Amino acid sequence: MANRIQINKEFVDIMPQDYLDLVENGTFESPNRGWKDFGTATELIAEHSLCAGCPESIAFRHIMASIPNPEDTVMVGSTGCTSLVFPMIAVHNIHSLFGNQNAIATGLKRALAVRFPDRVKDVIVLAGDGATVDIGLDMTLQSWFRKERFTTICFDNELYANTGGQESGLMQKGFLAKMAPVGKRFDKVRLPEIARESGCDYVAIMTASKPSLVEKVIKQAVLIAREVGPTYIQIYTPCILEIGKQSMEGLQEMRTSEAPGERFKFREFISPEAQSFLDGLAEKKKAEKIAATT
Amino acid sequence: MYNVAEVNAEACVAQKGCRLCIMYCPEANCIQLDTQKMKAVIVESRCKGCELCVVVCDAAKHNAIKMVAR
Repeated sequence: MANRIQINKEFVDIMPQDYLDLVENGTFESPNRGWKDFGTATELIAEHSLCAGCPESIAFRHIMASIPNPEDTVMVGSTGCTSLVFPMIAVHNIHSLFGNQNAIATGLKRALAVRFPDRVKDVIVLAGDGATVDIGLDMTLQSWFRKERFTTICFDNELYANTGGQESGLMQKGFLAKMAPVGKRFDKVRLPEIARESGCDYVAIMTASKPSLVEKVIKQAVLIAREVGPTYIQIYTPCILEIGKQSMEGLQEMRTSEAPGERFKFREFISPEAQSFLDGLAEKKKAEKIAATT
Repeated sequence: MYNVAEVNAEACVAQKGCRLCIMYCPEANCIQLDTQKMKAVIVESRCKGCELCVVVCDAAKHNAIKMVAR
């Protein structure tokens, strides 16, 4: 299967430079891809139109560098700031109707299993908190109840940033936003706990402030979704415009929110089946390492 | 006028393994590693001027990046 990503020789002279860079210097089919490729290899995301200093684009970069099998991955997006980035990534992707992303991913995953029975195909859902928790909660939960084997990533910015700052289900209690002037009266929806109870085999809540941690979590989530069951990751990507920060303050905001006792302190839940699968993977890796050194 | 980041190659410590600015830049393929000189290089046409690289570089006390007007 090696070297599947190539350019037809007849077309080399008319292909855009970005495309040539991706094929020659990209990280497709690299078994150990990760954030360490930054700076030397061409990334699978380019020239997106998000704001300067947007933490969401940091998270997007880390995720695109970490997905284990980009040439065989299909990402499903939804309406929101993420839909500004999807046209700029070098992975197959589908833009769904607002909130419909997990239903589309379900059909896609099943169709891919029928169409390519002998090939590993990953499906990753990436949507904002409005699509995951408010508008698409039905589809999100139902896909977990059915144990559909794909990864759901939620970019949690705690409000509807794209439309001017309305209240969302994941907003913290008492928070004042531009279009929610009286403050939120209810608690932040505890989706990670709901995900655990709904049948997810791996759940993580985190921020995008540590690329090594994002890489580890994304790889685990995609591999568990491939073999065991549904996985859910909630990443805090604050909207610096809506919470009144400067472009260079997004990273500090994420670090503050993941301090001990804060709402985005790193937590993960791994089901017993997923844990035994991960243990098996670690043992295999260890054996390979020993075989390589002797 | 538009602000972009500029790396002072003498102060940059990428040869010691530092990748802070490359790691935290929100723009893809914007800060590259010059593998010959082992220094960080800014691709100015992709820089949106958010100053995150300045923040992480200064926090690590390297002070190798500053914003310049273009």
